[in-house]
Amino acid sequence: MSDPMSYNGGTVLAMNGKNCCAIASDLRFGVNNIFVGRMHRIFPVGKKILVGYSGLASDCQTLNETIQLQTNLYSLREGRQISPHALTNLISTDLYEHRFGPLFVEPIVCGLDEKNEPYVCGADLLGCLSKPTDFIVSGTGMEMMMGACESFWRPDMEPEELLEVISQCFLAGLDRDALSGWGCVVHVITPTHTRTVYLKSRQD
Amino acid sequence: MAEHEYSFSLTTFSPTGKLVQIEHALAAVGSGGTSLGIKARNGVVLVTEKKMPSILVDETSIQKVQLLSDNIGCVYSGVGPDARVLVRKGRKEAEVYGTTFGEPMPTGQQARYLASVMQEFTQSGGVRPFGVSLLVAGFDPAGEPQLFQVDPSGSYWRWKAAAIGKGMVNCKTFLEKRFNPDMDIEDAIHIAILTLKEVFDGEMTKSNIEVGVIREDRVFRNLTPDEIQDYLQEGDI
Amino acid sequence: MVGANGESRYAPAPPKPSDPDGFCFHSPHPEVFSGQARHHHRHSHQNMASLKLQPADQKVLPKAKKTGTTICGLICHREGCVVLGADTRATSEAIIADKNCSKIHYLAPNIYCCGAGTAADTEHVTQLISSNLKLLRLNSGRQSRVDVACVLLKRHLFPYQGYVSAALVLGGVDFTGPHIYQVWPHGSTDSLDYVTMGSGSMAAMSMFESRYSHDLTLDQCKDLVHDAVLAGIFNDEGSGSNVDITIIERNKPAQILRNMDTPNTRLHPMRFQMPLKNTVVLREFIELHEAAPVAPAAVPAPAKKAEDEERAAMPLE
Repeated sequence: MSDPMSYNGGTVLAMNGKNCCAIASDLRFGVNNIFVGRMHRIFPVGKKILVGYSGLASDCQTLNETIQLQTNLYSLREGRQISPHALTNLISTDLYEHRFGPLFVEPIVCGLDEKNEPYVCGADLLGCLSKPTDFIVSGTGMEMMMGACESFWRPDMEPEELLEVISQCFLAGLDRDALSGWGCVVHVITPTHTRTVYLKSRQD
Repeated sequence: MAEHEYSFSLTTFSPTGKLVQIEHALAAVGSGGTSLGIKARNGVVLVTEKKMPSILVDETSIQKVQLLSDNIGCVYSGVGPDARVLVRKGRKEAEVYGTTFGEPMPTGQQARYLASVMQEFTQSGGVRPFGVSLLVAGFDPAGEPQLFQVDPSGSYWRWKAAAIGKGMVNCKTFLEKRFNPDMDIEDAIHIAILTLKEVFDGEMTKSNIEVGVIREDRVFRNLTPDEIQDYLQEGDI
Repeated sequence: MVGANGESRYAPAPPKPSDPDGFCFHSPHPEVFSGQARHHHRHSHQNMASLKLQPADQKVLPKAKKTGTTICGLICHREGCVVLGADTRATSEAIIADKNCSKIHYLAPNIYCCGAGTAADTEHVTQLISSNLKLLRLNSGRQSRVDVACVLLKRHLFPYQGYVSAALVLGGVDFTGPHIYQVWPHGSTDSLDYVTMGSGSMAAMSMFESRYSHDLTLDQCKDLVHDAVLAGIFNDEGSGSNVDITIIERNKPAQILRNMDTPNTRLHPMRFQMPLKNTVVLREFIELHEAAPVAPAAVPAPAKKAEDEERAAMPLE
């Protein structure tokens, strides 16, 4: 068996824009180099926050379920939605709890905070947070996408342009990652709405 | 009284539906030094009398207004050692919340936690209820000042102005006349000291009362004796 | 017991601090810790059983973010203060995972700590110790002491036998004066005048060894730390990007000079304007956040329904 982080394949990419942010993922679910089916790897946590998980599919789902449980309890207890900042801290604590038997997941949080400022933050499988000002990638296509993003990302993109940039960077990366693909979904979060787009992508 | 037969066990109801140990706990609070709090437009103030059993006690070694975290303070009336246990637990819970969510614990959550600890001690075997009521002051995440009272039974309420301890009834009557929701925190401090004076035995000095304030900077702070002295002078006390 | 045969595919599990079978460090005075945030010590071991089932012949370590790092700190004896410095690169093998991460962690208003090693470990260990110092401060009403921070750190690290891989440079000023400690992942510590850690420690130490003296002024100390971090940034591949410096003086708030020097900003950025509506969209949904009416975005005409597109589209939930 190979590295659990690339056992099922899949990539997540998130980008900051001007008063908006976007997150993209592929839809492939495989076992090593065999295509098995499709799965979603981005899930909402309340309004204006999406979390994408890359890594071992079972651990992605497990982490998502614990996070959904905890954030739902949080909303009931405190009567307000969790902020993206608190959510990333919660994820980090949850991941580090399993320090010596980690969940093989690298989650990415993408959303707008209470002031509608864009917030993009990623964690490694032990729960170390990194909060970039531009973009963050995790998953099997990370190496391929980082280069494209470094070229095409620029500060203060409007939602329309952000959608184009994240889509093009993601599709470019997919073309060179054998373990990601089979469709692509992009979510652009703005203060008023979330736009979800399925892109035409190669099916091999 | 038939109810005395049921006071042997905390967790047994009397036929009239009372848990008499809790009532005894409230009696312990009622004989404790008076504490009161006022929620102003832009902050909260807590004031308490520091009653010493003898003038020989060094009153600087006793602190009744305490920090639970940077942004939450509390004061108790009743059995001091019991309050210390609650303060310790509250501080730890604030740290756990802070490290889990990376945000300061909201005052309402702290009050709810302390209340749940106190409730647990009304329903467990081999324990007695806490002999204290607490006033908890801070800000909520929306930026509103908050003042909570937590009782030995585990009930908790939000107040605009509250008093606990020996002088509770008189203080509340006084506060009902003086309270104004739009008042500034500086006015609230004066009114709080004035209210405490209503029920204070003997002369009020900078060293036999304690004042804790949280202002718009959301940092809870105990006033120094010198600062208290200034307020006493300004209020002509 | 998990890891008893030592043949896990991953690094063998260290004993839990409370594990009766494994070697562990028990405080003879557990009450010393009562009221401290011990919850953080309890790592879940629930996934360990499944790790043991995996074949023992292939050893693949999970990729965690590392801070291949240059961190350093020194005491300015002349002015009784402490200067800490760090680069800002985080790596995951050869990939730069974060170009501008922060490696100087807060422990107390008068104590800061630079971290090298596994990033998650340095992050969480410093957070735990900072939490415990805060409780000690609240319960004692006194300023935190640097040697207390040092003891709390080594007491946490030692039972994990180096598996919590945090190599730290701890610095602060308390009523006894300025202190710099070097804390190793296994839990040993040194109290020194000048200290470097991380993969760039050799480069940084070369600067300290040639230029450090007890007579340096604060400004000279700051320059020296800056140059030591730069030496790491330019000579060690695990270190890079910017210089962070924190200065702690007695009875003053710490000066946090985040990105005080940025010698590696992006050259010739392209600032490419991406043409709009270029990407082919199969389906599109809009979810409104508030009830307030929003002009619906112009939905492009549905793309022609080729069979592969139908296959690509997920079933609508």
